[in-house]
Amino acid sequence: MVVTVSFELDSVMVENAVRTSELATRVISKLGSAVPVKFVADGREAARPQRSAADPFTAGKRTMVVMRRRAPFLMACPAGSAEFACCGYLVLNLASNCPMDCSYCFLQEYLADNPAFQIYANYHDAFDELDALLRKSPNRHFRVGTGELADSLAFDSLTGMSRDLVEFFSRRERLMLELKTKTDEIDNLMGIDPRGRTLVSWTLSPESVFRSSEHKTAAPSARINAARSLLENGYKVAFHFDPIIAYPQAERDYLELLALLFDSIAPEKISFVSMGGLRMTPALRKTARTRFPTDPMLVGEEVLSSDGRYRAFAALRTNLYRSIEKRLKEFAPGLPRYLCMESASVSERVFGVRPQHPAELGDRLASR
Amino acid sequence: MAPPDRNAVLDLAITLRLRTGQLVTALELLEETALREGQSIAGILAADSIRRAIRSPGSRPQRAALFLARLRELRYPRLTRLRESLAAEISELRLPAQVKLALPRNLDSDEFRIEITVRSNEQLKEALEALARVRVQLARIIARLGGDGGDCEL
Repeated sequence: MVVTVSFELDSVMVENAVRTSELATRVISKLGSAVPVKFVADGREAARPQRSAADPFTAGKRTMVVMRRRAPFLMACPAGSAEFACCGYLVLNLASNCPMDCSYCFLQEYLADNPAFQIYANYHDAFDELDALLRKSPNRHFRVGTGELADSLAFDSLTGMSRDLVEFFSRRERLMLELKTKTDEIDNLMGIDPRGRTLVSWTLSPESVFRSSEHKTAAPSARINAARSLLENGYKVAFHFDPIIAYPQAERDYLELLALLFDSIAPEKISFVSMGGLRMTPALRKTARTRFPTDPMLVGEEVLSSDGRYRAFAALRTNLYRSIEKRLKEFAPGLPRYLCMESASVSERVFGVRPQHPAELGDRLASR
Repeated sequence: MAPPDRNAVLDLAITLRLRTGQLVTALELLEETALREGQSIAGILAADSIRRAIRSPGSRPQRAALFLARLRELRYPRLTRLRESLAAEISELRLPAQVKLALPRNLDSDEFRIEITVRSNEQLKEALEALARVRVQLARIIARLGGDGGDCEL
């Protein structure tokens, strides 16, 4: 069956070694004749930047490469560091890059050398890695997400990966799958029983950030509606207020966003909320400013911090975190909350207590 | 860049004889401020604080430096207000010379450095007593660095 894809593609490249794979067959049959398909010897070469394009990163997003992944699928979250209070998140890399185009996205720098949208036909091998992890750590729970280097659900109408994932995780008591997205592409998730082992999470930003910076994403209200539908279908849901941008009137807008969220979804039905401030390396900031020269969200009062990233100066962002935290506490005192890529000291200023050890927090979030 | 903006920048560069590096910095600050505030570059250059800096007494290099400082204040208004207010609070503490308080560069963190330089037990005693005397004020400065104190309107 040919499907309508929400995001445009110029071409699909399939690595010869996987041309008969289930994933390649599925993608080609669902696209029909709408997008030209080429077969290539090495998908890694096909994923390289198109130097002749005016914006190689944008061009890369419009090229899908179905290939074999050579590296392990499972890794620690790349945002994790000894400098920060972390959440113990594990990342499963089943795809790379994203058809949406947020001006602040770190992938603009992280994937500059291989910007094509890669999906890995041997993704079932990831399941062996997960089982090995469970055998190695018999007493722990893990939260494993596919939304770090890609959006978990963008192109799911083509790839259908989510169904296999939900099915696998539904049979693993100590694993929690997190599908992180800015879409409302949830059709494939309907009609499967996740048995409490799949959580779908959305980045949520105020309308003004969505309009100026989150290109091709679903509107915040559409994300919330999608979350409500999935809750009704047995999924867990969570929200990431990340990046929080300290623009003028940010406090008013973020508090309104919280009101909108809790008007739609009862706080006790939300598994957790995370917060993180806008952070950009100098290289990312330069790329983002070049690609999105009229986005006012990229020119706030960010200063170069000791971790080498531009962030809103400490008092400003901590004040904004605290304001959001105060409202979260009023609405949902029992709702687990954590900060992403912030020091233990900032975390303590915001929550009033020292952050948990990453493994403990990870275990707690995975077993909710 | 729109012609009125271009002309305003050119006039300024000639008046202050900005060096290449200074011109690049000025352009970046002007463009970013204009984008965030929804103003034209010519409009920003016409602001009182900028015009006063350009026409201030002193040599051209001094005026150029003052001009860039004023531009930075427009680019980082909340940061500037907090930094100036904290600097004033530190100055009011009237600590002995052997005690130096250093705010984090660009207020990028909540770390506050207290440096004591002594050559004798007497000086050490004096420094520690001075710090103990202003403990409450120091605690307040540390809290404000971490966002307490309602300094940064959101």
